[in-house]
Amino acid sequence: MDLLPILSKVELFDGLTDSELADVARICKQREYRTGQTITSQGEPGGELFVIADGFVEVLVSPSSQNPAPRTVVHLGRGQLFGEMALVDYGPRSATVKSIADHTLIQTIDRDDFNRLCEANHHLGFIVMRNMAADLSFKLRHYHLTGR
Amino acid sequence: MSAIYKVSYVVIGESHPGAILNTDHKPNVGDHITLGGREFILVEIVDLMPARGEFHFLHATLRPAPA
Repeated sequence: MDLLPILSKVELFDGLTDSELADVARICKQREYRTGQTITSQGEPGGELFVIADGFVEVLVSPSSQNPAPRTVVHLGRGQLFGEMALVDYGPRSATVKSIADHTLIQTIDRDDFNRLCEANHHLGFIVMRNMAADLSFKLRHYHLTGR
Repeated sequence: MSAIYKVSYVVIGESHPGAILNTDHKPNVGDHITLGGREFILVEIVDLMPARGEFHFLHATLRPAPA
């Protein structure tokens, strides 16, 4: 599968050169999920970033051990990323993420591979980190507008 | 380069959690939007952040479509 047309439409990689996109494509691994399959689990260690190439996922959060019933906080579709918090802060997964569509295609990026790429190419590292911050900002604005 | 619209969808009138996704076409008021198998009507759309490159950042408010 030619990943470049897919990655070029992901905001995280907006501003990268074709050569840099090709470097990113080399560290991507594709996974496919069916409806109901869990991709990440809240509280578990996480060392990967996930980019939705196709399909839909739901993000669920259990507020506390006293109130463990998970609440869906958002659905994410094509072009969105998740897992970025654990990627940069090395903390446990902050949410459980499940596929809510058959044939949900996810590109995964390992933290160590990602860090090596950012350290080897500071332009790439700056662009991706800037875009990741913008994505977190977008999610925060969305969250505020949901009125929760 | 063609525009890519990153849209924050929020549903009013029920407890749907909303969604974020990319689309190749700019959504417009009156559009029918399907999220998770449910159909909604777009009632408002605004720019959430200034566009950057080919990416446009929008916020859309949805209501459940009449059954």
